[in-house]
Amino acid sequence: MTGDLRFVLRLGDPGYPAQLELTPRPPRVLYGFGDPSALRPGLAVIGSRKATPYGLDCAAFFARCAAESGVVVVSGAAMGCDLAAHRATLEAGGTTVAVLGCGADVDYPARARDTLALLRAGRGAVVSEFEWGMPPARGHFPARNRIIAGLASAVLVVEAALPSGTFSTADHALDAGRDVLAVPGSVFFHGSAGCNRLIRQGAAPVCCVEDLLDSLAGVGLLGSAARTGGVDPAGVSPLSPESADPVLRALLAHPMAPDALATALETDAVTVMQAIARLETGGRVARYPDGRYGPCAPR
Amino acid sequence: MTQAVVASSTLVGVDAIAVEVQIDVSAGLPAFTIVGLGDAAVLEARDRVRAAMRACGYEFPNARVTVNLAPAPVRKHGTGFDLPIALGILAATGQIPRSATDAVAVGELALDGGVRPVPGLLAHAIAADRTGRPFLLATDALPAVSAVAGISARPLDALSALRQGLPQPATGPPPARTPGRGGPDLAEVHGQPAAKRALEIAAAGGLGVLFVGPPGAGKTMLARRLPGILPPLTAQEAIESAVVHSVAGLDVEALLAGERPFRAPHHTASTAGLVGGGSPPRPGEASLAHNGVLFLDEAPEFSPAALQALRQPLEDGYLTLVRAEGRVRYPARFALVAAMNPCPCGFLGDLARPCTCPPAMVERYRARIGGPLMDRIDMTLRVDRIDPGCLLRDLPDECSQPVRERVTAARVQARERDGDRAANGGAALLRACALDAGSRRAVERAAHVHRLSGRGVTRLLRVARTIADLAGEERVREQHVLEASCYRAFS
Repeated sequence: MTGDLRFVLRLGDPGYPAQLELTPRPPRVLYGFGDPSALRPGLAVIGSRKATPYGLDCAAFFARCAAESGVVVVSGAAMGCDLAAHRATLEAGGTTVAVLGCGADVDYPARARDTLALLRAGRGAVVSEFEWGMPPARGHFPARNRIIAGLASAVLVVEAALPSGTFSTADHALDAGRDVLAVPGSVFFHGSAGCNRLIRQGAAPVCCVEDLLDSLAGVGLLGSAARTGGVDPAGVSPLSPESADPVLRALLAHPMAPDALATALETDAVTVMQAIARLETGGRVARYPDGRYGPCAPR
Repeated sequence: MTQAVVASSTLVGVDAIAVEVQIDVSAGLPAFTIVGLGDAAVLEARDRVRAAMRACGYEFPNARVTVNLAPAPVRKHGTGFDLPIALGILAATGQIPRSATDAVAVGELALDGGVRPVPGLLAHAIAADRTGRPFLLATDALPAVSAVAGISARPLDALSALRQGLPQPATGPPPARTPGRGGPDLAEVHGQPAAKRALEIAAAGGLGVLFVGPPGAGKTMLARRLPGILPPLTAQEAIESAVVHSVAGLDVEALLAGERPFRAPHHTASTAGLVGGGSPPRPGEASLAHNGVLFLDEAPEFSPAALQALRQPLEDGYLTLVRAEGRVRYPARFALVAAMNPCPCGFLGDLARPCTCPPAMVERYRARIGGPLMDRIDMTLRVDRIDPGCLLRDLPDECSQPVRERVTAARVQARERDGDRAANGGAALLRACALDAGSRRAVERAAHVHRLSGRGVTRLLRVARTIADLAGEERVREQHVLEASCYRAFS
């Protein structure tokens, strides 16, 4: 087992993450794989496994913002938003921590194998409170969520249904006294209900880069130097410029299937499909897994 | 010792092959034997023939009767040999004129001497027509075989009518060719303009479609209306399809009237049920859908082996069954329509009800429609339940008739350009598309943005070419490519 970067931290050890120690139920042992220095306070970016392109794009976009500001991104390596956040962070050259609901050396989910391998090789860390080799189990994931919240100074929820595991992570974050940030979604979509509920309950809405950086600075993750250093993470804003195209305006506001859109705009389905396809190849809208078309980050 | 020979035929697949029924009546202990690899139904002919002859006032010879079915090594099935055997015995014993044995005879006998039709009569009729001899058959079956051009059919009600020799030639009323009658009309589906458009394109280009949507969205309703917007069967196609149905013992009247077959096997169908099999081999659903539509509802629920078995018909338009007793070939060229729920619970993407399936399960479910089937699906479309308000509002929906006319016009245009061999891929397809600068750019962008594979691009072009044909355009334009890209597969 030489050559791999395993480490074990017990509660009270000097290397044990201080911010985690102060949470209501810190794990007694933390098994880790990768770079232990990645366990500094960071931003948790979490969201639904059944994410829409909108949720995936938000996760990737804000994770990239955080990474480019030097903030560690913590998430759970689950399919969907979590993986999108890990991957975007790595692509931006940032550090990211995956907290698993199984042993830190187990590749779960299988889809995350490549990403986990990069983290274990030192691009970040994979941690877990479960023994090496422990297989995933249903009951492990809520416990895992409390560590995600514990390692982070603030938790950004990009897309969550109600009730959901993501929503429970937000609850853990409140228990641990962390700031909860949420990206608003459509009021007509149950997959966004969790985020919108969080905002109603007092979570800080994050609608642009500035919002996120303000919140990061507010929890001390961003020195004022970094703020004034003209951090402009991606050079783009997720806000699309004003457009007169009725199809684009409609879809950005409310994802719809071509039929429904044709009815709403009182035109025929073929014209609408051509317009949608034009916007799609232009990277303005994307097809959701359910066949509706809606906003995505400009590419 | 007296002998007689009567021509008949037996089914191998959907073809009838000639069988010579040789009768020998000679002195000896009274006996009645049939040799020549007949199955149980053939051997039972002895009792039916004896009873039928007596019932019609003939005398069954009090002698040794031997029947040989030649060629002897071919297995023979069914009850169609009753009539030729009776005919031969009657002719050999001089109870009817010898001229009665000039005909090819296929028919089952009732104990009272009545003649009944057997499955596959159309195939027998075609084989008889090839020999140029008259065809002796049950009167009931006359309308069905009238579709075989040039046949000299001799309808027979009962064995007793043979005393005067062969009956006079007769033709049944030719089947009325009234396309579109009976079949459900497109106007009965409210709303769903995108799905109807996809059906129209599929009909025009002979493309496979997959409808994805929650239960109750109308996927089955839509699929059932595809035969009605296809051009009616040509006379040649009608015969091909009717032969398969006739062999399976199904009604052929609608087919001969030009209506395309629609087959919707249940997802519990066995491989043999889907592609044919059994002993004697029977055509499966894929062959019964020949020249029509095969609809696979709940496609992921079909057994993987059954779907895999569809590979040959999907690629070649026919399928070959290899069995101990030989090979049989069934035609199976059909338009494929598949439908599936978006996930096992059916509600993924439903705005009203959340889906309860874990994401990994959704992926496994989708992956169950494997390679061969997905390769033949050119268009994938999400179909959602329509707003109940739309059902109640009486909006005018287009009937099948004008759609069928557009489809026919598009097919004519494609045929004039491509000839008999449709341009399905490669250089021929590219030539057929005749892309201009705008459409070329659109294809390139779509391929890039949607990360299309080579096969994906081919599909895009095929759909775009059909859309252009529907628009009556010589070249594929940008808007055709754009619309086509909306029908790409869900990744």
